[in-house]
Amino acid sequence: MEVQPRATDADRAAGNGVDGVDGVHGVDGVHGVGGVADDAVDSADALAVAALALSRRFAAGGTMWCVAPEWPEHARHVAVEFVHPVIVGKRALPAVSVGTPTLVATMRTLVRTGDVVLMMSTPECPAASDVLRRARAWGATTIWLQVGGSQDAGDLDDLGDHVIQVSTDDEARHDGRLVLHYHVLWELTHVCFEHGGIQLDVGRDTPADECVDDVCITCSDSGRLGEVIDIDESGITRVRTARGVEIVDTSIVADVGPGALLLIHAGTAIAEVR
Amino acid sequence: MSDAIPFDATQFLYPFIAPSSARSTPENAALLRDLSESAVAKMRASATLRETSTARCRQAVDAAAAAMAARFERGGRLFVFGNGGSSTDAECVASLFTGPPWGHPLPARALVDDSAVLTAISNDVSFDLVFSRQLIAHGKAGDIALGLSTSGNSRNLLTAFEEASARQMLTIGIAGYSGGEMSRSPHVQHCLVVDADSVHRIQETQAALSYALWSAVQGRDTRLGWR
Repeated sequence: MEVQPRATDADRAAGNGVDGVDGVHGVDGVHGVGGVADDAVDSADALAVAALALSRRFAAGGTMWCVAPEWPEHARHVAVEFVHPVIVGKRALPAVSVGTPTLVATMRTLVRTGDVVLMMSTPECPAASDVLRRARAWGATTIWLQVGGSQDAGDLDDLGDHVIQVSTDDEARHDGRLVLHYHVLWELTHVCFEHGGIQLDVGRDTPADECVDDVCITCSDSGRLGEVIDIDESGITRVRTARGVEIVDTSIVADVGPGALLLIHAGTAIAEVR
Repeated sequence: MSDAIPFDATQFLYPFIAPSSARSTPENAALLRDLSESAVAKMRASATLRETSTARCRQAVDAAAAAMAARFERGGRLFVFGNGGSSTDAECVASLFTGPPWGHPLPARALVDDSAVLTAISNDVSFDLVFSRQLIAHGKAGDIALGLSTSGNSRNLLTAFEEASARQMLTIGIAGYSGGEMSRSPHVQHCLVVDADSVHRIQETQAALSYALWSAVQGRDTRLGWR
């Protein structure tokens, strides 16, 4: 992306020395200004891009589904921010927390093409990966706020359209830093709404699964994700993709059942994705 | 070929699904720059408020933590409550005590975790009593009531503190702005105030203070929990 970094080393140094607070970090686990400011510099650009994508999806009628399998209270906090803003006059936006034990089964009934899935989890959370992967077949754009974890986030970046690492420090989900990130996402989303051009931009955005001219020449040459709905006695398989319900030939993938995630190429399932 | 393939191995087939929405274009570059600058400014403001509040409230945190540790040591339990975003922050605090990243797990519950109880009390009696009625059922002398409110004026918190106080529970409030009624209530023994006027920045710092409180409880040399 072309956003230039604006935080110079001098800025960071200035941030570190705010009001002479150096040396009073007396409470264990509460992080200094420097550490948080560096996190800010690292994630600000990614939050900006995610907020613009989110506001476009909202403007086009999408809903944001908030999920945090390991800490469902954070999903509820995000949803209430958007639905019932603390600042009088800000528009209510459709965000919903999903906290059922059967996340995938619930979400596949609710999520529609053009929606957004906001995931908050550790990078290695299996339930998070499962939802994020399937969100592509459901036609949803995904934003993933990662906290903690030992796994290299780079390996997992492909699972989310917008992957934002809040901190590798697990305590960030308790000490306000995760809250800060979704508060800023909310604030930036409203900046986008107050920006005159956002409505005009709606038609220019494309759901994650659709072709973008400069990289995809013909759709028939593409691979897309689809989730099996059902298979009838004659072997006809109905699959859900970002485009809707499609009939797919599954003769070369063995033993797939409802819920299986398939890579589809030219009307044929060429592999099961796990 | 029916072999399952790892997810990333499929990328070559559809490279175009990488973050394509909201790509930087000449038209939106200025907006993205503004958004990013705004994000940095808010995060720096939050970090500064966290530092100054943590330093300013240090003695109050230590005093509240000492009182909490003494209750936990004698088998006391923690009840945490708040409204809206503060209710989820209350759940987050409760989970920190019961499932700590280090130290000893301690008994804590958020009073917002049961929608049947919340709606029953609100419908049958009053939302103002949604927490105090639960303390009547569960609270005992030696337990701890911890309430979070950005305004410090939430009626249901004030009535809960009054009930907790009457039951000889330890009462701790975390408020924002200038502390509101919570800072003046005779029923709130320890009141930590985040002196700011942005609800978001207050909530982030209240989380930091809650974490500092938990950390200070764990740091005390007392026999905590079931050991």
